[in-house]
Amino acid sequence: MNATLKKHGGLVYLPLLIAAIFLPKFVNNYYITMSCLALIYMIVAFGLNFITGMTGQMNLGTAGIFCLGAYTSALLTTRTGCSPWLAMIAVIAMGVLIGFGLGYPSLRLKGVYLSLTTIAFGEIVRQLANNMTNFTGGAQGVRNIPVYNLFGFELNTKVRLYYFLLACTVLFGFISYRIIKSKWGRVFMAVRDNIDAVDACGISSAQIKILAFTLAAVFGCIAGGLYAHYSGYINPSSFTLGLSVNFVVMVMVGGSGTLMGPILGAVIVSMLPEFLRFLGNYYQITFYTIVLLCTIFVPGGICNLRIFHRDSLRRPSGN
Amino acid sequence: MVRIVLQLVISGIAMGFVYGLVGIEYTLIWNSTGLLNFSHERIIMLGAYVFVGSMITKIGMGVIPGIAGALLFIALFAVLVALVIFIPLRNMSRMCAIMATVMLGNIINEGVRLYYGPEAMTVKGFLNGIVRIGSLVVAKAYVAIIIAAFVILGLLTFFMKKTKTGKAMRCVSSNKTASALMGIDVQQNMVITIMISFLICCVIGVMVIPLYSVNQSMASMISLKGFAAGVIGGFGSLPGAIVGGLIVGVIENIGGMIFPSTFKDVVAFVFLILMLLLRPSGVMGKKSVTK
Repeated sequence: MNATLKKHGGLVYLPLLIAAIFLPKFVNNYYITMSCLALIYMIVAFGLNFITGMTGQMNLGTAGIFCLGAYTSALLTTRTGCSPWLAMIAVIAMGVLIGFGLGYPSLRLKGVYLSLTTIAFGEIVRQLANNMTNFTGGAQGVRNIPVYNLFGFELNTKVRLYYFLLACTVLFGFISYRIIKSKWGRVFMAVRDNIDAVDACGISSAQIKILAFTLAAVFGCIAGGLYAHYSGYINPSSFTLGLSVNFVVMVMVGGSGTLMGPILGAVIVSMLPEFLRFLGNYYQITFYTIVLLCTIFVPGGICNLRIFHRDSLRRPSGN
Repeated sequence: MVRIVLQLVISGIAMGFVYGLVGIEYTLIWNSTGLLNFSHERIIMLGAYVFVGSMITKIGMGVIPGIAGALLFIALFAVLVALVIFIPLRNMSRMCAIMATVMLGNIINEGVRLYYGPEAMTVKGFLNGIVRIGSLVVAKAYVAIIIAAFVILGLLTFFMKKTKTGKAMRCVSSNKTASALMGIDVQQNMVITIMISFLICCVIGVMVIPLYSVNQSMASMISLKGFAAGVIGGFGSLPGAIVGGLIVGVIENIGGMIFPSTFKDVVAFVFLILMLLLRPSGVMGKKSVTK
């Protein structure tokens, strides 16, 4: 797959894009809603791919990042009445702030310590959103979040929102693709595979880690903002540790260090449970079992399977 | 005022022992196999469900035989999980191992929901009521937790220091290759460690029933704070886990008095992050943080 990409640029993604464009013609509203969520999660997974997939720093606090993005946008637009586009700037600023805030601890902490710190971060965010009732609305959440407005064109139906989210996802997918193929992308993976070699080459691994964290946080926050305006209502109970775990599963099942990985992962994690519905009560337990088997037998993810590229320099994720 | 503080400190100490036991339970597995067991929350819950749902409600046992039955079930379950999942997993990358234990937890959670149904359960009259010590009022559940913690700690210390298997366990946690060369069956030893860890989970699950009642999310907070306890005390150290647990328990109760009580849970996690930044090796830990 890698070789094909090098030869033909992003041509592999063209059929996917065409399929995504014609999707609303063939499926009902329910599946469009599911696809919208999958697109939002895809953006988060693109971001998480930088830090967890490529740089190898376990981040189990993505739900916290997503939550902060969603609340920043939701509170700004509902309380001050400013446009969602203006709130987007605040959301990006919030992402940069979280990136630095989480990035600095990661310089001193490794492995499980970092996992636990990020878990604590996610939990703190959720608890604060839940308990600062006057500011965030508490467990009742924020209602009546306005939708995006494109030059007077209200994005108020599911199909319109779907195309808007698709456009956003393509944009962030393109940015992500360019970063993966750039010098940054190569250094990210070098930090995962041999951090001493990175420092020996005169590249500051500390700066690279913070950069990766910041990218992940900005992507996650923007996706959070999109989510808030897409669903029109948010409450703290959706941003649990389980959601963070799902994001990591997306990156891992799909395959880290590629663009296709998060795309596949997000689609699988958000769609597969729906397709297993015919199992009735047993659909979730089947889904978890499939993921468990995937982590044990395909630890590098679907995209890093050997059949896709023979020149396998890339090692499976993690240390 | 002094009485209120004392009261808070006592309930903090009782909760601290719960966090400390959680800390011990996952530190045992960490030391032995190098895996961080993210499914421990669900094991604690499973223990409580087996005790209430199967042993007491279905079979109609008393409390003591019920606990024994639940422990037996969990021990068998532990052997199964150890052989099928934990031992094959320990040579894989850390990220895969973490995700696999999380997924195991989800599977247990779903299994419990399918088998026992989604309603919360409780046991009538189990550890209810209060005990008066002077002018202080302590819930019976807290007294039971403190006694159970001391019994478990005593047994564990005796086991680790005096018996052959326990000594082998300490050897395995310090150096696996050397232990294997000395003729210790490392794999069998890991199975035993995982079993002990799961048994402690089961006891925790039974003990906290009066505090949380039996439902699917009963253990989510204690398991997270147990992680915090382990890190604050010093990762990988068993006495450290108890000390860390007590610190977390007391600090969150005092914090709940100073700040509005809804922020109680935040205090523990903020303290965890501060501790990680200022002294990542913990109160009683060694200097190395590279694990």
